[in-house]
Amino acid sequence: MRLRSRRSVQHFANPLAALDRQAGDPLLTARLDRGSAVRAAQRLNRAAGTLAIAVLFDSAMEHYRGSFHNRAMYTPLVSASLSLLASAHGTADPRSGAHKLRDGIYAFAGLAGIAGTAFHVYNIGKRPGGFSWLNLFYSAPIGAPMALSLSGMLGFLSERVRDNPPGPPPLIFGLPAGRVTAAMTSAGLLGTVGEAGLLHFRGAYHDPAMFLPVSVPPLAAALLAESAVGRSRVRRRFTTWWLRFTALLGFAGVGFHSLGVARNMGGWRNWSQNLLNGPPLPAPPSFTGLALAGLAALGLMEDHPDE
Amino acid sequence: MSNRYPGYDVLAKRHTPSWNEQTRRVIDKRLAISGEPRFFTAQEYALVGAICARIVPQPSDRAPIPVAALLDEKLVLNALDGYRDARLPPLREAWRRGLRALDEAAREAHGVGFTRLDAAEQDALLKRAEEGKLEGPAWEGMPSKLFFEKRLLRDIVLAYYAHPTSWSEIGWGGPASPRGYVRMGFNRRDPWEAAEAHGDDDAKALRENRRVG
Amino acid sequence: MATTTRKRCGRTGVSDDPQHVPRARDGRAPDVFRHGGWVPMRCYGENDEVDFAIVGTGAGGGTLACRLAEAGFSVVALDAGPYWRPLEDFASDEHEQTKLYWTDERIVDGENPLQLGSNNSGKSVGGSTVHFAMVSLRFRPEWFKARSKLGYGADWPLDWREMWDYYTEVEQALKISGPVRYPWGPKRPRYPYRPHELNAAALVLAQGAEAMGIDWTPTPLATVSAPRGLSPPCVYRGFCTLGCSTNAKQSVLITWLPRALAAGAEIRDLAMVGRVEVNEAGLATGVHYHREGAWHFQRARNVVVAGYAIETPRLLLNSATARYPDGLANSSGLVGKNLMAQSNQAVWGLMEDEIRAYKGPPSLSMTEHWNYQDRGKDFFGGYCYMSQGPLPALWATTQAGAHGLWGDALMRDMEKYNHQVGLKIVGEMLPQKRNRVTLADEKDQYGLPIARVTYSWCDNDKRLIEHSLRFMTQALEAVDARDIWRQEDDTCHLNGTARMGDDPRTSVVNADCRSWDISNLWICDGSVFPTVGGVNPSLTIQAIACRTADRIRALAARGEL
Repeated sequence: MRLRSRRSVQHFANPLAALDRQAGDPLLTARLDRGSAVRAAQRLNRAAGTLAIAVLFDSAMEHYRGSFHNRAMYTPLVSASLSLLASAHGTADPRSGAHKLRDGIYAFAGLAGIAGTAFHVYNIGKRPGGFSWLNLFYSAPIGAPMALSLSGMLGFLSERVRDNPPGPPPLIFGLPAGRVTAAMTSAGLLGTVGEAGLLHFRGAYHDPAMFLPVSVPPLAAALLAESAVGRSRVRRRFTTWWLRFTALLGFAGVGFHSLGVARNMGGWRNWSQNLLNGPPLPAPPSFTGLALAGLAALGLMEDHPDE
Repeated sequence: MSNRYPGYDVLAKRHTPSWNEQTRRVIDKRLAISGEPRFFTAQEYALVGAICARIVPQPSDRAPIPVAALLDEKLVLNALDGYRDARLPPLREAWRRGLRALDEAAREAHGVGFTRLDAAEQDALLKRAEEGKLEGPAWEGMPSKLFFEKRLLRDIVLAYYAHPTSWSEIGWGGPASPRGYVRMGFNRRDPWEAAEAHGDDDAKALRENRRVG
Repeated sequence: MATTTRKRCGRTGVSDDPQHVPRARDGRAPDVFRHGGWVPMRCYGENDEVDFAIVGTGAGGGTLACRLAEAGFSVVALDAGPYWRPLEDFASDEHEQTKLYWTDERIVDGENPLQLGSNNSGKSVGGSTVHFAMVSLRFRPEWFKARSKLGYGADWPLDWREMWDYYTEVEQALKISGPVRYPWGPKRPRYPYRPHELNAAALVLAQGAEAMGIDWTPTPLATVSAPRGLSPPCVYRGFCTLGCSTNAKQSVLITWLPRALAAGAEIRDLAMVGRVEVNEAGLATGVHYHREGAWHFQRARNVVVAGYAIETPRLLLNSATARYPDGLANSSGLVGKNLMAQSNQAVWGLMEDEIRAYKGPPSLSMTEHWNYQDRGKDFFGGYCYMSQGPLPALWATTQAGAHGLWGDALMRDMEKYNHQVGLKIVGEMLPQKRNRVTLADEKDQYGLPIARVTYSWCDNDKRLIEHSLRFMTQALEAVDARDIWRQEDDTCHLNGTARMGDDPRTSVVNADCRSWDISNLWICDGSVFPTVGGVNPSLTIQAIACRTADRIRALAARGEL
């Protein structure tokens, strides 16, 4: 009963559900593999894919705004697209064992995100004013490329989880996979909160709803962190629900942001400006991706208590 | 004249979000201005046309901006600046008197009216006005330097740069509401802005300028 | 309080020509946020003796009308200009938008005749703030005591610490978008909205400042960087000084005046006040104003003159009576004297890069270094300088008028428009009695004598200008600008002509903006500045208006009104 309700939320909140279904009935697969690492890995693929979608569209729009003046600006588009494909493939893949190509793609995403961050940091630093608020607001967004890294990281974790034999609790680098994933996801959530916080500060929190992404996900991150270090044999009902709420918030954010676009001068008729100058539509689903990863981590821990 | 923004026409944006209804109305009205003067006499009008050709010379490979007609419109409306140097008469009187005096100066110097002078002679005469060296009873005490700077030059230049053709010529974005601009940094342009040709990429600039609409 | 009976205040009829037919009447005023929209407006009869008749609805009068109405006073505010709905009335066109300026004839003379109209005189409900560049800066604290602390000009009867709080109020009311940390002066609260993104022209200023080793900042601007109520964020269309057609600009028209209407003030557009009436007791009884082709009289217990530094003294002088033969409030002889413009010189140059300075508010970055640094100066006062973004007509008249170009030379330089950068000062000019507003013999369309504005620079003004031009030239050279030239003759903003002070012999009004001579006559606009400082005046004018409103409320509570 508990599991079913969790699944239904995931399906509601998962844009890859369609891909999933094409690959075979996920419920059936999950039931067969119940307790196995593969299901958890698939859920992590899903989370990585959700993040990849956000990164793909966000970097496409932002780098289009930047006129792709540097060829390297195509990198996140390529990497996020690959990450998306790998995630779709992984989500539909019922086999255990890491997949070399997916692994490679995810590793590339992780590295590309880090390289992107370095580029962005360099770009900020060379502007007049250096690392001032102004440049943090308006030059290359310092936190954005990390979303790509996070997608890669989730995928990488997915492959590590999948690499475990069915039966014993899955491990990542010798540590319980659920805890590792929870910890990493918690950190990722905090980073994303930082990005949203910075940009919403730029918007002067002119709408009370802008406080949501700096209040809901931090609690989710704290709850996940607690899961990562706390006892594993407890049922974390509140954490589960809070993560689901965070996942929903990521989608709701797109709605809020589209209202924001409408509120700019000329509204949607002036889309060629307002899609770029208004609040970024693809950004909020990053929270969804991370919340899905958090749910996968919780599932891993519940299915494989390590104490 | 070089063509820095090949193929760019600010009017191509007329039906984009860069223009709103009230702007279209105002510009349409301005574009309809041409032809017979309503303030200037025919003789004055010819003289104004000759002066405009020296102050804001236009290339022959495009439709000319009707500078004299736009100036005539301003004088019909008696559109004031909001200030007047104490040594100048009011707007309309300053123009009437200044034109008369300039023509008179041409006759004095060359025996023919201003319009009959060649370009170099016209320039030289205007230069003398600019330097305040034209004097005589026809000026009725109005300093030629002030008339040149505050009236003749200002009004003609304003008329010229009120016309969309001049905006296209200098690569200005033109009217911008509700849509303004997104890309603000060095060497950045929005797809609805003029693309500058840098000598080796005329074709690219031309292509991009055809797409601003 | 005046009578609360609601009266009709005009004919019924739909106005689609705001320049010729008043819009604010019949119990409603234009809704500035909606096409064809209206908001209810309380109306007073001419025989209702209102608490305050305010002449002018700009930074001084508009702000005061709001604050007095909110304090419960009955207020009628009159403005000679039209009541615009920016969304439907403002075109993206330099030529058309001159309709925002005060273009009635004025005579200028002196050694350095001023240019009026476009860059310093508005004729609109909302005043010059409808076309101002939105630069919203606080005075340097010492300027309020310029004479005793810095050795020039005159002291203000105001304390900077009190003004600091009123500045905060205005910054909140306008949701100023400014830097997170302001580099100069005493601590100030964080600006309500974040700074705007810089355009290339502003980046050039920043690079130049860093090369010169001085601080710079994104300019605190009265245009929102994020949505606010019905104001969308700025779209960087660059027509700010020609009227904001999106309502991103937080002008008096869309901030204080809607509040004033909601609080029960009446605003009369296209209402030119020609004379303030005084009775045998020497008190003001109301104002004569011209509207819809006829003269009317509005009774009032108090009259506030807020027509800015030219129209205010003109009205006071035009209101002369047998009892006050030199004009109202003029026992000191200072009405019209000590007119102060601000120097507005620029240095222009060409960059290899495409700049396209037409995008965004014209002055996105600035430095107040030479307002706060006194060492190395051979002049009194200070200046700030800002990046520039002239649109074609303004740029062409600058090239023609100040650079002296015409013919092929003009056309060649105009073609480089998108590579042009400029730095321009707002500089302090010292008060001089010879700089003044008087009445000319000529009459305007209402039959009123027009203003004659006499202006000459003093040596200190010239030294400041020279210092700024030299410094800005270096700043442009430091970023490899080419073909640098100086625009030496320009001024902006108008202040003085009815200065405030502590002594009736040397000032026109006291610290509360109340005239020394006529206790129910007030002056509340830039005219009351004893000195101008080196920053744009609008924020200070609004802060003074807020303070005046509080003082009036306090005086009324004590029965001293």
